[in-house]
Amino acid sequence: MNPNRVLVLVKGELIRLNKYNVFAISILLALIWGVMLYFVNNDILKALLPMILLIDASMMSIMYIGAIMFFEKNESTISTMLVTPSSNPELVLSKVLANTIHNLFSSILIIIAFVLLKHIELNYLMMLLGIILTTAFFTILGFYMAYFQKNFTGMLVNLMIFSFALLVPTVLYEVNVIKADWFQYVLIFNPIQAGSELISGGFKAYAFEWQYYFSLLYLLIGSIFVYRFLVLPKFHDYAIRQSGV
Amino acid sequence: MYKVDNLKYKYPNNKEDVIKGISFEIKEGEIFGFLGPSGAGKSTTQKILIKILEDYRGTITYNGKDVKTFGNDFYEDIGVSFEMPIHFSKMTAMENINFFLKLYKRNADVEALMKRVGLWESRDKMVGEFSKGMKIRLNIVRALLNEPKMLFLDEPTNGIDPANAKVLKDLVKEFRDAGGTVFITSHIMSDIDQLCDRVAFIVDGEIKEIDSPRNLKIRYGKRSLKLEYKEGGQTIAKEFPMDNVGKNEEFLTLLKTKEIETIHSGETTLEDIFIKVTGVGLRDESE
Repeated sequence: MNPNRVLVLVKGELIRLNKYNVFAISILLALIWGVMLYFVNNDILKALLPMILLIDASMMSIMYIGAIMFFEKNESTISTMLVTPSSNPELVLSKVLANTIHNLFSSILIIIAFVLLKHIELNYLMMLLGIILTTAFFTILGFYMAYFQKNFTGMLVNLMIFSFALLVPTVLYEVNVIKADWFQYVLIFNPIQAGSELISGGFKAYAFEWQYYFSLLYLLIGSIFVYRFLVLPKFHDYAIRQSGV
Repeated sequence: MYKVDNLKYKYPNNKEDVIKGISFEIKEGEIFGFLGPSGAGKSTTQKILIKILEDYRGTITYNGKDVKTFGNDFYEDIGVSFEMPIHFSKMTAMENINFFLKLYKRNADVEALMKRVGLWESRDKMVGEFSKGMKIRLNIVRALLNEPKMLFLDEPTNGIDPANAKVLKDLVKEFRDAGGTVFITSHIMSDIDQLCDRVAFIVDGEIKEIDSPRNLKIRYGKRSLKLEYKEGGQTIAKEFPMDNVGKNEEFLTLLKTKEIETIHSGETTLEDIFIKVTGVGLRDESE
């Protein structure tokens, strides 16, 4: 892997995110979240803010990477990327890094707004770690999901199903609708729950227990596993299909 | 430069090979053309040569080395112009070019290239606003920006007007004259005839003939001379065998005594030769 080339690719991806208005959309969304949360009382805010940061880092990451890949499909640009000296791992990694940077940017916008307006107390380092790891994992997962979608609409529909299946149990547990003790051991294998633990770790009131460390390892190993064994091996075939062969 | 031996390829969802054991050589410094109707296997062969399709059978060597053994540095030597436009439409032409430029060790003089294809004035326009012809010309700039040693062109003049097609053809010839090697796939006869040093006829994944356009015309053309002359206010045509035409009394008498309108050798077009050799036409095949 050539670090300079990865840097060029990441920079290119970020420029395109801007040109294709993906940055503008995420700033707008951050603004909408911000306005919405500003008007809720502090108790609800405490429950909602981590949830919104989680949605931003998970579902939105999948959607943004899906959008990027479908833009490329429409313009057949992936064919020309295949005939550059860039290797497949460089091409995949650059997209993952760019999407993570982009999502981090929108999450930071939300956080800055609330630190200034609502005086919430954060552990910045842990918050960054939580957002980066959650975003990276779901970006890689979104990459893999995009391989099987024919169009962006199909991707959105599957994202809804995916969100419902994974996000709802976490929400139900968080708001005490599901109270059974054993459920936390089932939930811990849900990547959304793992992301939730990591992002919650960024708030000063969070008590670090085994669930946090498990989630940290789970998303770290999960990201490497999905990248290495699911995304990379199928990337070349995917790229060839997109190039019209 | 390239040597292809008994190349076979089958797409994963197909039952039969689309490339059925073809062999050919691309010599350094030549323009080698692949002429055939749509679906004949031209683009597939090109995609194999540029290492996009990998699960082929047979051997391909580039500068004496199996192409499978090359890493991604292989693309430092290669320039590829695809048939369809391949640019980021919401970026300007220069933004596109500058992005790709940074991925290579060698960089061509982009300003000169852009001027050569008539796009310099439009360099700050969004590619989405370009006409198809402009996008294809930008494809060529993209293919040449790493100063490649080997250039692959897939249907390079498809969809562009004759004036710009000439600009591209001249550019390709200049590239060859400067020592570059070119592989062109086309179903447009004039491209192949005007550009190629050698041409292969490909139909249904099989090569039916390989030679220079000139040799093919001599080999398959009629060795005759056709004369048109005026007589009694009418145009009369007569054909004479080329062999010993200088001793043919009737021919010589006509030349001396009649008002000659035209004289043509019985040279056949590449298209006629293609049909004669392969039994199929170039234009009547559906994509």
